[in-house]
Amino acid sequence: MSALLAAEWTRLTSTRLWLWGVLAALGSGGLIGLLALVGPENFTPPLPGLDTSQGTHVLLGLLGFTVFAPALLGTIAVSSEYRHRSITTTALFAPRRWTWLVAKLVIYAGAGLAYGAIAATTAGASLFGVATLKGITLGLPAATVAALLARIALAMAVYSMLGVAVGALLRNQVTALVAVGAYFYMIETVLMIVPGIKALYPYLPGGATAALTGFTYLADAIAGQTGAAEAHLLSAPAGGAVLVCYALIAAAVAVVAPLRRDIM
Amino acid sequence: MNVEVRGLTKTFGPASAVTDLSFEARAGIVTGFLGPNGAGKTTTMRMMLGLVAPTSGTATFGGRRYADLSHPSASVGAVLDSAGFHPAHTARDHLRVYARMGRYGPARVEQVADLTGVSAFADRLTRTLSTGMRQRLSLATALLGDPQVLLLDEPSNGLDPQGIAWLRHFVRELAAAGRTILVSSHVLGEIENTADHVVVIRDGRLVTTGPITGLYATATVLARSPQADLFAAKLGQSGIRVERRQPDLLRVHRLSTAEVAAAAASHGVMLHEITPERPTLEQAFLDLTGGSG
Repeated sequence: MSALLAAEWTRLTSTRLWLWGVLAALGSGGLIGLLALVGPENFTPPLPGLDTSQGTHVLLGLLGFTVFAPALLGTIAVSSEYRHRSITTTALFAPRRWTWLVAKLVIYAGAGLAYGAIAATTAGASLFGVATLKGITLGLPAATVAALLARIALAMAVYSMLGVAVGALLRNQVTALVAVGAYFYMIETVLMIVPGIKALYPYLPGGATAALTGFTYLADAIAGQTGAAEAHLLSAPAGGAVLVCYALIAAAVAVVAPLRRDIM
Repeated sequence: MNVEVRGLTKTFGPASAVTDLSFEARAGIVTGFLGPNGAGKTTTMRMMLGLVAPTSGTATFGGRRYADLSHPSASVGAVLDSAGFHPAHTARDHLRVYARMGRYGPARVEQVADLTGVSAFADRLTRTLSTGMRQRLSLATALLGDPQVLLLDEPSNGLDPQGIAWLRHFVRELAAAGRTILVSSHVLGEIENTADHVVVIRDGRLVTTGPITGLYATATVLARSPQADLFAAKLGQSGIRVERRQPDLLRVHRLSTAEVAAAAASHGVMLHEITPERPTLEQAFLDLTGGSG
C-alpha cells in the first residue's frame, strides 16, 4: 500500500492539479476576506454586520459552501485516469483494483485537508484582518471562529474523498463533474422542498455538511420560507461521520460494481 | 515462465469475441500471435492480464493467474496500446509514477528510458509525443519490473522502419535471454523474422499453432496443362484444393511436384510445366484463415 500511496502522491504532485488546488483554496479564502471587506450589512438583502455573531457565521458558512471545489479535484483525480486511459497501466501494476482506489482516497483526503487548511487559514486571517482594519471586533470569539474554520477544513477533506468515490463510480469525467456540481447546488436544495424528504435532511450530504461546518443558513432559510419547523441537524462529529460514511459507501460501490467492469 | 491459455472464451451479449481458445507461449522463444484485425487478439491479451473478465477459461503465467502473481509487474510486462498517458505528465513523470507503484527505484527509470530510447524525449509532455515515441514509452513502462514475460499487442504500430528493426532486434535479445514473448500482429512481415512459433486465430478461434516453419508446409505447385479443366476436375474429386490462375494454369495446394506429376499421369493428363511455389507467409496465412484476411 505504501508503494501505491507514493505513486498517487507522485501523480498528484507531477501535474499542475495541485497548483490549481492551492490557487482555488487561496481564492475561496480570499473571497471571504473580500466579502468581509464589503461587509454583510451592505449585501442585498442586508445581513447583520461582522460585529454580530450571525454576520460572522454567514461569512464562515459561505466558505463552507465552497467544499465542492476539493470534491471536484478528487473527482478529476479518478475520472482523468479513465479519460486518458492510464487506467490500463494502473490496473496492470495493481491488479487488485480496490487497492489503488483506497490509495487515491487516502492521498486525496490528505490533499483535501491541506486545501481546507489553506482556505480556512486564508479566510481566518482575512476576517481578523478586515475586523482590525474596520476597527471592529468579530461577532464570535476567536476560539469559536478557529473551531468553525477547522470544521470546514475537515469537511473539505471528507468531500475530497467523496469526489474520488464519485469519480470511480461514474468514470466519465464530464458526467462526474456535472453530477457532483448539480447535486450540491441543485438537487439537494430541490429535495429540501419535498416535505417528507426534509426530515431526512440531517442525514443527506448537505445536512451532514451543515452539521459539520455549523452553517445552517440554508436549512434555516427553507424552514423560514416553508413555515415548517427547523430541521434539527446532527452534532458536528455525527455529521462528519455521516459524510465519511457516504464516501465509504460510494467507494465500496465503486469497488464492487464499476471497478469490476472490463477495461477495454 | 511459460504462459498457458486454456479454453478462454469471451462473449459480449450474443456476440462471441473469443471462443474456447487454448495455446501456450514458452520461455526463450518469441511466439507470434497472428490474426486479422478484429480476430480477438486484443481481447485475448486483456483477458490474460485480468483487464477483461473471461466468460470462461483461464490464462496463467507459471501456473498462476495474473492477479494472483505476488509481484505482477515484475513477472509480466504488457504493451497494449499507445494511449494511456496523462497529457500533462512528461515521459519521465509517467515512468516515475509507475516505478513507485511497482517499487522500482529512480535508477530503474533511467535504465529503461535508455534501453528504449525514451531518454531522448524524457522531459517532453506526453501529449506532444508521436505514436512511435508513445510505443517506446509504453515499452519502457512494461520493462520497469524487468519481467519474465512480455505481451506486446501490435507493438510496431506507428514505428518507423528503423524503429521496427530496433524492436525486432530487441525482442529477439529478450527471448535469447530466456524471456517469454508473445507478440500480436496482423502484419505478417513483422512476425516472419521475429517469431519462432505462431498462434493463428480468426473470429476468436484458433486456426493453427506450431513452429513458424510449419506455415510453409502449405506448399503449392503451379501446373500448366492444355487439359487444365479435366485435371482440375480430377484433383477436385480427390479432395485436393485447386485454384485457376490462367485458363491453362492451375495452382495445386498441399501436393509436391512429384505428387502432382503422379496425379497427372494416373489421370492421363498432359503437363507442360510444373513449378514448385514457396509460399509467402502472407499466402500461407490467407490459406489458413480462409482467404479474406
